[in-house]
Amino acid sequence: MKRFITVIAVLTLLSVIWTAFVKPEKEADKSNSAKVEATFYQYQDAHDENGDKAISGLRKFWEFSGFRNATKGNLIMLAVGLFFIFLAIRYDYEPLLLIPIGTGILIGNIPFFQDGGYNLQLGIYQEGSVMNYLYFGVLKGIYPPLIFLGIGAMTDFSSLLSNPRLMLLGAAAQIGIFLTFIGALLLGFAPPEAGAIGIIGGADGPTAIFLSSRLANGINLLPDGTTVKNLIGPIAIAAYSYMALVPVIQPPIMRLLVTKKERLIRMKPPRSVSRLEKILFPIIGLLLTAFISPSSLPLLGMLFFGNILKESGVTKRLADTARNSLIDIVTILLGLTVGASTQADVFLTPDSLMIFVLGAISFVIATAGGLLFAKFMNLFLRGDNRINPLIGAAGVSAVPDSARVVQLEGLKSDPTNHLLMHAMTPNVSGVIGSAVAAGILLSFLG
Amino acid sequence: MILSLWNMWPFLFSLDSSTGVIVLVGYGVVFASLIILYFVFRYLLPFVLRLKLYRRAAREGRAIDESERGEMSGEVNAAIATAIFLYFNEQHDYESNVITIRKVSRTYSPWSSKIYNMRNLHNQR
Repeated sequence: MKRFITVIAVLTLLSVIWTAFVKPEKEADKSNSAKVEATFYQYQDAHDENGDKAISGLRKFWEFSGFRNATKGNLIMLAVGLFFIFLAIRYDYEPLLLIPIGTGILIGNIPFFQDGGYNLQLGIYQEGSVMNYLYFGVLKGIYPPLIFLGIGAMTDFSSLLSNPRLMLLGAAAQIGIFLTFIGALLLGFAPPEAGAIGIIGGADGPTAIFLSSRLANGINLLPDGTTVKNLIGPIAIAAYSYMALVPVIQPPIMRLLVTKKERLIRMKPPRSVSRLEKILFPIIGLLLTAFISPSSLPLLGMLFFGNILKESGVTKRLADTARNSLIDIVTILLGLTVGASTQADVFLTPDSLMIFVLGAISFVIATAGGLLFAKFMNLFLRGDNRINPLIGAAGVSAVPDSARVVQLEGLKSDPTNHLLMHAMTPNVSGVIGSAVAAGILLSFLG
Repeated sequence: MILSLWNMWPFLFSLDSSTGVIVLVGYGVVFASLIILYFVFRYLLPFVLRLKLYRRAAREGRAIDESERGEMSGEVNAAIATAIFLYFNEQHDYESNVITIRKVSRTYSPWSSKIYNMRNLHNQR
């Protein structure tokens, strides 16, 4: 509870500062710095006439320094970056994501000279900069499939194979995607932008980045001739923030919707799964899902490919690389560039604020969708076939954090009732479900 | 923000019809793909994998034994795995864990005596 209050309080404070300062920033900021500079330059100009090149150099140095170019937006984003790093270290919320993203926010918001479109090749949006080259992997949707490859190589689908009916919970939780899509349309976003925002409800960072890089990339043209907004940064940050906040967001909804009696339900232990079944799963899964939704092929193709590497038993080296070194490298690059893409002048807009609100709502809806569908399934199940509705919350993907939250919540009600293995089924099927949903949105709106 | 969302409720019905199509078809396809996977892995695959078993049982005119199905809970598997692990771990040499120290009669040892210290060498004249 203390964590929840701390996180909410800091978020509220940041949003208040954001709304209070972002808009008047341009006028107020520029008038203040203009006064200082005017005095400074008058003094320098006098000396320049005497050909004092050292003073001219100093003047240039001042012009190019971060202190001269800092805006309130930069400072707010630096505070956000520090907050992410604080969350990761203090509360251990997805540190593997929040540390790279938080540091990326710091890197992306160091102020530098960019008046008059001057290209210092520093910023992530400046052509030719190192960060711009790394950002290419986000823009073109290269990193997300590589992450999926690693996820496939590290995921054991045996819990899913032993109790496949729990896959439906992963499908039910995707309601968050489609309701948020409607919400975004109502708030005035264009359909491709709304589709990209909706995918936050899938609680799957790589999928969110993949879809937003295709639909809301600031390049595509809308039917009326205007360009879609570049929403990759806000969507990615919202998706990853809410994924990191799974232990804060989900438990209150779980307690609200699942009765104490239901939380005590014990489920049948999963059956053992043969090696042949494990090998056949990625092959059949790939063929079926790709035929149903070919647009999700980059994500699901790589996910199942990674799983074939793992389960075939003859490509141990490749599987090891995919689930360790490769996924680590891509996570570093992805986290850093997504963080750096939150450059204040691009990121701090009312749209971003709306995306954060919509993202939170979609996350809540998705969690509730999974929980309620589990309760609905229980109406038709008897005896030890009944489902502990808590595992429905794991349908929101966010592998494996939401399954871990389910396990912890289950243990609070009954310290001997372990739900982790059962929760992994909706969890991994949620990944498949959100990738299929992304493919459908892409085929409709792309 | 929440208030503005609430005020938009009446406009929900004024949304473009394509929105409804995307939502219904999209959610339907997500469900359909996972339901198909469910049927394949719940019924079709186990049936195909046990086809040989069913044929042999039919030929021999008997019902399939529970043990032949190969369906055992993960807990049984874990118990067998633990038993095998413990068995192989106990294959090592047996040690008594009793440490014996032989007591020597001459307890004095000059190995760290100060008189053999290097520093003393410098003081010798």
